[in-house]
Amino acid sequence: MAEVRSSRTVLTSITAYGTLIVISIFCLLPFVWMALASVDSNAQLFLKWPDSWTLDNYSRVFNKEDGYRWFGNSLFTVLSATILVIIISGLGGYALSRSRAWWKQPFLYAILLIRVLPSTALLVPLYKILLGFNNAEGAVVRPLFGSASRQVMQIFGFIDGYLGLIIVLTAGQLPLALWIMKVFFDGVPKDFEEAAILDGATLVQRIRRVLIPLALPGLAAAGLFTFMSAWGDFLLPLILLSSAELSTLPLGLFRAFLRVNEIDYGLLAAIAVVYLIPAVIAFSFARRFLVQTFSGGVKG
Amino acid sequence: MISDAFQKRRERQMLLLLLPALLPLLILVIYPALYSVYLSMTNEALTGVAAQRPRFVGAANYFRLFSDARFWNSLFVTFVFVVGSAIIGQFVLGFISAIALRGRKVGSQVFGAAILLPNAAPEVVAGFMWISMLAGGDHATLSKIMIALGLPWADWLQTFPLFMVTMVNTWRGIGTAMILLTAGLAAIPSEVYEAARMDGANARQTFMRITLPLMAPTIFLYMLISTVSTISVFGLVYALTRGGPGNATEVISVYIYNQSFTTFQLGYGAAGAVVALLISLLFGISYVRALRVQV
Repeated sequence: MAEVRSSRTVLTSITAYGTLIVISIFCLLPFVWMALASVDSNAQLFLKWPDSWTLDNYSRVFNKEDGYRWFGNSLFTVLSATILVIIISGLGGYALSRSRAWWKQPFLYAILLIRVLPSTALLVPLYKILLGFNNAEGAVVRPLFGSASRQVMQIFGFIDGYLGLIIVLTAGQLPLALWIMKVFFDGVPKDFEEAAILDGATLVQRIRRVLIPLALPGLAAAGLFTFMSAWGDFLLPLILLSSAELSTLPLGLFRAFLRVNEIDYGLLAAIAVVYLIPAVIAFSFARRFLVQTFSGGVKG
Repeated sequence: MISDAFQKRRERQMLLLLLPALLPLLILVIYPALYSVYLSMTNEALTGVAAQRPRFVGAANYFRLFSDARFWNSLFVTFVFVVGSAIIGQFVLGFISAIALRGRKVGSQVFGAAILLPNAAPEVVAGFMWISMLAGGDHATLSKIMIALGLPWADWLQTFPLFMVTMVNTWRGIGTAMILLTAGLAAIPSEVYEAARMDGANARQTFMRITLPLMAPTIFLYMLISTVSTISVFGLVYALTRGGPGNATEVISVYIYNQSFTTFQLGYGAAGAVVALLISLLFGISYVRALRVQV
């Protein structure tokens, strides 16, 4: 009897390992190609061992192509949006957790429903609205700044400007972040705040001295999910940015790939690796929050 | 104990704290959603005569949409894509991985990380990597593997485009399914399994009678969330096939994008967008109800 059972456990665990190995190979194979191609002096479309190892592809990303600029633009817009989301969702999530007003429930249902709206479906009207803002802003900026107005608009413009991309990324990530923070503050006992109120602390003092220190883990989760999702977003920069100076990493990768007559797989793979690394780092930190945030409708 | 006046002031403060969140959501999400309903009833365009003087055309865009074979095709493609990747592919492989990883296994950290890695890849990177796997006929990595195994190869993205796009999206989501289902499995008390073993249940009976029913709420929640998030997938499909060949992989989000930003018919594109919004909202409402969110 004991022998039957042990041989069966061995069989089960062989099956389990076999399955895991097959699924893992399926998951990893594309990454293996990308990693090898990025250090191959003669990279090809298919998976192969490098002819000779080289970092030349990476140096070309940054020296011949606009690698620094793409990376800088991505980092700047995504980090700005992340910081904005952390601040706004921290305040809003606290309000949503502590308020007992009539608007609390409708608001919470609304942010859950907003999460399901496909961004492609909102894009056309969003573009029209931003175009309206942009034209109004341009009418003010142009007489004021004259020849420098192009530079000003690239920073503060709503279309083809940093500001436009940042605020749209922010609005897109807010619902999930608000949900994360609301749930987080629900788990923070009110005793601390009530003690602070009895001590005569004002709202601002309470936020600075009591709530921010308590809320740090929640803010980290909200920030990480915002960063990952905004970093991976391709549609918004594709629509909102057209100047080469503003191009971000996904656009750089996509456009390098569209140069059909001279596809350079080594270079493309190197751009993809540069783009992938921050995403993987953020994801490895965010992993522990994955299950809790799932009920807020997060996925990938 | 705390006075009424204080309570009132407190609520005003709360509203003030919520305001920075409320404004961007109203201006950049709610208003565009409503505006798209209006746009869908005009002949608004980015170029041409209609760009200068858009007119109100009533339901004309919707009549055109519903008689557009390409629109119905995009709904069908989206349906296959969602059912194939979110409901079947990711779920089945994620569930198998979660069960295989159960218990203290040597290397479970490594396997878990490997299976989760695709989830961290940005959409465009995922599309690009899979072009290497699938495109290029007998040069594609998958073809080389098939040839090495003595199996037939194909021009994968030309011959089975929809199946391949669905498979790539499956690849991207196994990890999240695995994580959520692992959490669900861990929540089943081990006493239940003990009792089943005492009663002499075999592995299949245990799975069908205990694991599956106890996991049902988790599975249902997972399926709703992955359905709504799969409906809005854009970058992956666009980077991989841009909807082609022909319209074989034109999911609804790519269809809307193509109508609006390559043919520049904003009004017509908006009609497609409104349909997509309504479908997503329908799933969203059932999700909120199913969750019975304690807000």
